[in-house]
Amino acid sequence: MAKTVTPDAIAIMRSNPSPDSSADVPEIVVQVLDLKSTGSRSRFMFTANDGKMKLKGILPSNVESEILSGSIQNLGLMRILDYTLNDIPNKSDKYLVVNKCEAVSPALEMEVKSDVGDPDSGILLKLKQENQVRTAAGVPLKPKQEMVAKSAAQIVHEQHRNMAPAARLAMTRRVHPLVSLNPYQGSWTIKVRVTSKGSMRTYRNTKGEGCVFNVELTDEDGTQIQATMFNQAAKKFFDKLEMGKVYYISKGTLKVANKQFKTVQNDYEMTLNENSEVEEASNEASFVPETKFTFVPIDMLGPHVNGKELVDVIGVVQRVSPTMSIRRKSNNEIIPKRDITIADETKKTVVVSLWNELATTVGQELLDSADQSPIVAIKSLKVGDFQGVSLSTVNNSIVKVNPETPEAKKLRSWFDSEGKASSMDSVGSGIMASSRNGSRSMYSDRVFVSHFTSNPSLGEDKPAFFSVRAYVSFIKPDQTMWYRACKTCNKKVTEAIGSGYWCEGCQKNDEGCSLRYIMVVKVSDPSGEVWLSAFNEEAEHIIGCPADELNLLKSQENEENPYQLKLKQAIWVPHLFRVSVAQHEYMSEKRQRITVRGVAPVDFAAESRFLLEEISKQKASQ
Amino acid sequence: MDTSNPTVFVNAELLGRYVGRKVRAVIQVIRNDGAAVIGKSTDEKQITVKGLPPSQLTTFVEVIGIADGQNSIAADKWTNFGDNFDIFTYNKLCQLANGEYQHLFL
Repeated sequence: MAKTVTPDAIAIMRSNPSPDSSADVPEIVVQVLDLKSTGSRSRFMFTANDGKMKLKGILPSNVESEILSGSIQNLGLMRILDYTLNDIPNKSDKYLVVNKCEAVSPALEMEVKSDVGDPDSGILLKLKQENQVRTAAGVPLKPKQEMVAKSAAQIVHEQHRNMAPAARLAMTRRVHPLVSLNPYQGSWTIKVRVTSKGSMRTYRNTKGEGCVFNVELTDEDGTQIQATMFNQAAKKFFDKLEMGKVYYISKGTLKVANKQFKTVQNDYEMTLNENSEVEEASNEASFVPETKFTFVPIDMLGPHVNGKELVDVIGVVQRVSPTMSIRRKSNNEIIPKRDITIADETKKTVVVSLWNELATTVGQELLDSADQSPIVAIKSLKVGDFQGVSLSTVNNSIVKVNPETPEAKKLRSWFDSEGKASSMDSVGSGIMASSRNGSRSMYSDRVFVSHFTSNPSLGEDKPAFFSVRAYVSFIKPDQTMWYRACKTCNKKVTEAIGSGYWCEGCQKNDEGCSLRYIMVVKVSDPSGEVWLSAFNEEAEHIIGCPADELNLLKSQENEENPYQLKLKQAIWVPHLFRVSVAQHEYMSEKRQRITVRGVAPVDFAAESRFLLEEISKQKASQ
Repeated sequence: MDTSNPTVFVNAELLGRYVGRKVRAVIQVIRNDGAAVIGKSTDEKQITVKGLPPSQLTTFVEVIGIADGQNSIAADKWTNFGDNFDIFTYNKLCQLANGEYQHLFL
């Protein structure tokens, strides 16, 4: 068992960057320095130190457990059994990808440094100004370089490498960050990982048939963009672009993203055609994009319900359900699902449904550690309206348990201090629980009166529906407010010859008839005023009494004028109106006609909540 | 209308920020012992309101007065707000009126 690093271990590896098999690898023991997690997919980065040289590298994911258990520690020794050295473009250094390794010893007291003048290690000099180092071969090195101890083998190797014509593309390529791309600058190259790959879809339109697929690309900063390919380009790149791999891409085109279809936070989307270039990056290990989250506080999820954009959340896990098997309606497939309840500092809880792999792997992990109240950060969730608000994972959702982010730390300290004890409500229960009249519709498609007055051609093809909160501001007392209606079928009746009324629809005479409202009222809100047509049921709510009764009041001609009083009492009362807007020809002129389809009294508490959501929606879209 | 000293909408958390200033808060009456009223603020913390409460207090009361401690108000105006009140919305109002929309209120 080695008790120290293998001398020149780094040099040995540099001289044989790609050993054919682990049998080819001699005894290499290095000290592990700067051991840290890359932040995704449980990979750990480190610096290998052999006492003389250091080399940055990455460890395989299968040693994660050894790192977490402490067998492989920072400042500890590790034997490398199988490795590959990769190039880093634009830099003369290499990157060590460890494929197989084992722990040798726990943390040493300090960084291993060989003594200067050690006869085994070759020529060692640490110089800061320009200098020349004579190698065994007597070749002077370039001046003005900070000289770090190098062995003869290393220096000769570097010289050879610098003369090679090979790395031309890597050297001359300049990578642009995704966030800097725009449609007006054509010559860019990006280095991205394919973080999501859609399936190839075929379509048929007026031009014929075609095929299309898209991918989600993420670069080093975490910026994401959607890239789409059609027909030839789709066929060309479908096999080339593999999920999880890193590519250099250039000569794509950008355009403003179609908000209807986008799932990724980017104003632009990219299209690749046959002229676009896609080249696999060979040193992907050195480039692992961080998962970028934009968390939505649980109590702000309301406005996102049934929206198209996916959200990210972070919260403390309160409850984990057992795995459920759900039968998919479309193809009768059985898929696993698990529900977890999470809470955050807004003191609201929400249920997140984990599907497929997430239900079985991460879900199980959360169930096992549920009593420790783990923190979970989830990216790309769909917001549904089950029980008010519900979250659901999609194909490319990412779940991180106890991430090392500042939000997680904040959440942990909030939970430990007060969150544990406080009682919390489900965010869905606060959302618009309201009473009659299709109350949900009173909060959907909400507009101001100005929406009607500024769009005179609203409802041109087919009637458009909206809800609006407004005050009744004027009812013309002299208008014909009602019509005589058949008691049975409510259709208009005509005065029969003799007495009574004749109904054309029922084909019979009736002694009496009922009066049904048909009137126009003016409504106002802070943005404007407009005339609404109202029929019997709705008008009754507005006036406060049936038409027959109002007629009675009208006929009472006394001082008090109860008719006028009744109308006056209906003024300046706020209502929630459900209206339909259509185009109506009147004297060969197209006019906007707004009809009341439903009326509900204003529930001020619910209305306030609605306004709060509108405020947070405005904030979110800024 | 004297707007020189606008009354700040507060809950328990914000009260401490405005000690010495005129504040208004809606509290849920827990206990009334003549000289002071113990109430629950809209963010579920205890607030003491000193002063002379009116003879009849409904469940929710708005008090206007000077903040004289981290969780007490010396009130000189009491208004009964009835028994039904949406404290969630009022609490949000306090947060918004003292947060990003402060310029609209103060």
